[in-house]
Amino acid sequence: MNVVELKHVTKRFDQFVAVKDLSFEVRQGTIFGLLGPNGAGKTTSIRMIVNIFAPDEGDVLVMGKHVSPELQPHIGYLPEERGLYKKMKLSDQLVFFANLKGVNSAEASRRVDEWLKRLELSEWKNKKPTDLSKGMQQKVQFIASVIHDPDVMILDEPFSGLDPVSVNLLKNVILDLKQRGKTIIFSTHQMEQVEQICDDICLINHGTQVLSGGLKEVKRRFGKNTVILDYEGPDSFLGGDLVKHHNRFPNYSEILLNDGADAQEVLKRALAAGARVNRFELVEPSLNEIFIESVTGSRSVAGSTGG
Amino acid sequence: MKKVWVIIKREYLVRVRTRAFAIGTIVSPVLLLGLIILPGFLAERGVGGERQITVLDQSGDPKLFEAIKERVESRASAPESEGESRFGGSTRFVLTRQIVAPDEDPNDSIKRASNGGGAKGSEQAYLTLGPAVLDDIAPEYHAKNLSDFSIRALEESVSAAISERKLMRAGFDATKIGLYMKPVNLKRFKIGSTGESKEGGERQDFMIAFALLFFLYMSVLFYGIFVMRGVIEEKQSRIVEVLISSVRPTQMMLGKLIGIGLVGLTQIGIWALTAGLISMFGAAIFAKQGATIPNIPMSLLIYFVLYFVLGFFLYATLYAMVGAIVASEEEAQQAQFPVTMLIVVPMMIFGLVMANPNSTSSIVLSMIPFFAPTLMMLRIAVINPPVWQVILSMVIMVVTILGSVWVAARIYRVGILMYGKRPSIAELGRWLRYS
Repeated sequence: MNVVELKHVTKRFDQFVAVKDLSFEVRQGTIFGLLGPNGAGKTTSIRMIVNIFAPDEGDVLVMGKHVSPELQPHIGYLPEERGLYKKMKLSDQLVFFANLKGVNSAEASRRVDEWLKRLELSEWKNKKPTDLSKGMQQKVQFIASVIHDPDVMILDEPFSGLDPVSVNLLKNVILDLKQRGKTIIFSTHQMEQVEQICDDICLINHGTQVLSGGLKEVKRRFGKNTVILDYEGPDSFLGGDLVKHHNRFPNYSEILLNDGADAQEVLKRALAAGARVNRFELVEPSLNEIFIESVTGSRSVAGSTGG
Repeated sequence: MKKVWVIIKREYLVRVRTRAFAIGTIVSPVLLLGLIILPGFLAERGVGGERQITVLDQSGDPKLFEAIKERVESRASAPESEGESRFGGSTRFVLTRQIVAPDEDPNDSIKRASNGGGAKGSEQAYLTLGPAVLDDIAPEYHAKNLSDFSIRALEESVSAAISERKLMRAGFDATKIGLYMKPVNLKRFKIGSTGESKEGGERQDFMIAFALLFFLYMSVLFYGIFVMRGVIEEKQSRIVEVLISSVRPTQMMLGKLIGIGLVGLTQIGIWALTAGLISMFGAAIFAKQGATIPNIPMSLLIYFVLYFVLGFFLYATLYAMVGAIVASEEEAQQAQFPVTMLIVVPMMIFGLVMANPNSTSSIVLSMIPFFAPTLMMLRIAVINPPVWQVILSMVIMVVTILGSVWVAARIYRVGILMYGKRPSIAELGRWLRYS
């Protein structure tokens, strides 16, 4: 079942087309990565899902219905730009946000205690945001977006500014929510995170879809065209007609091959050039590479609407 | 509507619980009350100070000096009019006579005395009575400070004394002169709404009118700006993003307007109640202390609350709109100027309306919705304008409020999500048409 569905959605602001004929589906109980460079139209799309904007054309469906104020209690939204009332106690603040989503105060404060404990913030309950570190505020903001136990959660860069321990804590919470059948739309620029937790992705640029489908399927579509080579010695062999481009990392190189190029040939040239090869592996491209390739448009693999 | 209520509750509680609210509620009326009763109190205690006046007498009539001295010194201990007591009539004058030969120039004596005159000389004043002072040559007053309200009191005394001497010279019966010269004061009666006349002071009307005007102006301005700052806070901190995924922008705006409006209403409610109680029970107590408390009719207080509510909603809506348009408090400083001007203008022209509350221009001005809260309130306090005028002004305001809420709501829902540069007027026009 598709919990969120965009069908040929277009949104304009004056002359500027922010989203153009965009379609995608989010399956229930999955984590969906909504990706794209800055200004691609991600935030506009999200704002249409949470009923901040209405689309000019097309349909935005949540749980099978057109978005409306009635659906808002079922949606949790953690915006990229986030904020809390500076002079309000955490508990009061979170109860307020829960009230706005229709949760009564008694139930809300019970949940606030629960969540604060879970995210290790209990002792800060009666403090104001100005007393908290940025990372803590971020966790509070996350609680605000899930306090009403929504079925659909939209998390825009939920991990930015968090230390690795907190990232882990939050990641486990998110995976746990997924386990409980919640649907999560996850927007980020951190491709490693997408690779770790997303089931499906949709990459948009200039308001239109560039790529979409299951994460594994998308990667497979690009084929094993990448060589991971760990070597010592000269790198003159990387220049030739075989290599589209390469990323030199301290411990290894990621070499993206030209279409039709044979990976064995690269190895041969490396040895011929006198390099000592410690590792040679043919892999699918990293999502980071796919992102850059797709956005810069140097690759013409247009994804079909996958499901 | 439940969501609007949640927002109202937050806006209200967050503000009413602050120390600033408690202080503002208590301090402002105490300050104003102080301004009203302090001068009377001071006059009673004779704190006005003492002024040494050297009378340079060329008149050759010793009785003239005595008449002046008697009048001046007796009046100072018992100020006759309220205006005097307010404006320094409590100054005590001490007169000493210095005879100057008729052919001498009294200015020479003044120069001599003030020459190198130190700190003490600064308070020294001179009154010259020329040789022909009883033949319409005006006496002169020389002092370093001429912007002193007490001079008026001195002038009255000197004038009366000279007239008295003139009458004596003309051969009137000295015992009866006092009777002839007794000043006549107009008794003032105010025609009330029922047509009955009630004795009352013009000054009291003025003080009440001014106090009400001032409090309305301050409250509307204050709470309007509160709304603007609230909107900016949510916008700048990006709380709006979370809020508008839960409520419609219009609900958000209404919740904020009503919530903060209730804070204001609580405050002026406390003020109005206090004023009412003092009027009813406090007057007697204060009267014993020698201070007069203006008696504020209950109907005026009700109008005051009504015009606050209307004025608040009108201006707060405009301020909410300004808050939604700008990106920061700094930007708001400029952008709010047109709105603030609308509040300030009536404060600059209220004197005209007060002087002539029934003129066509006063009536028209008090009908303009942006001026009505202050100017119509003023007219109600000073005269009793026809009921239709009061109702009409309120109807015009309500219609204007509905219009501005409509416009503001449309600007608001777009503006709160725009963090970039301030939009032009043309852009604002386009925002109105967004779906």
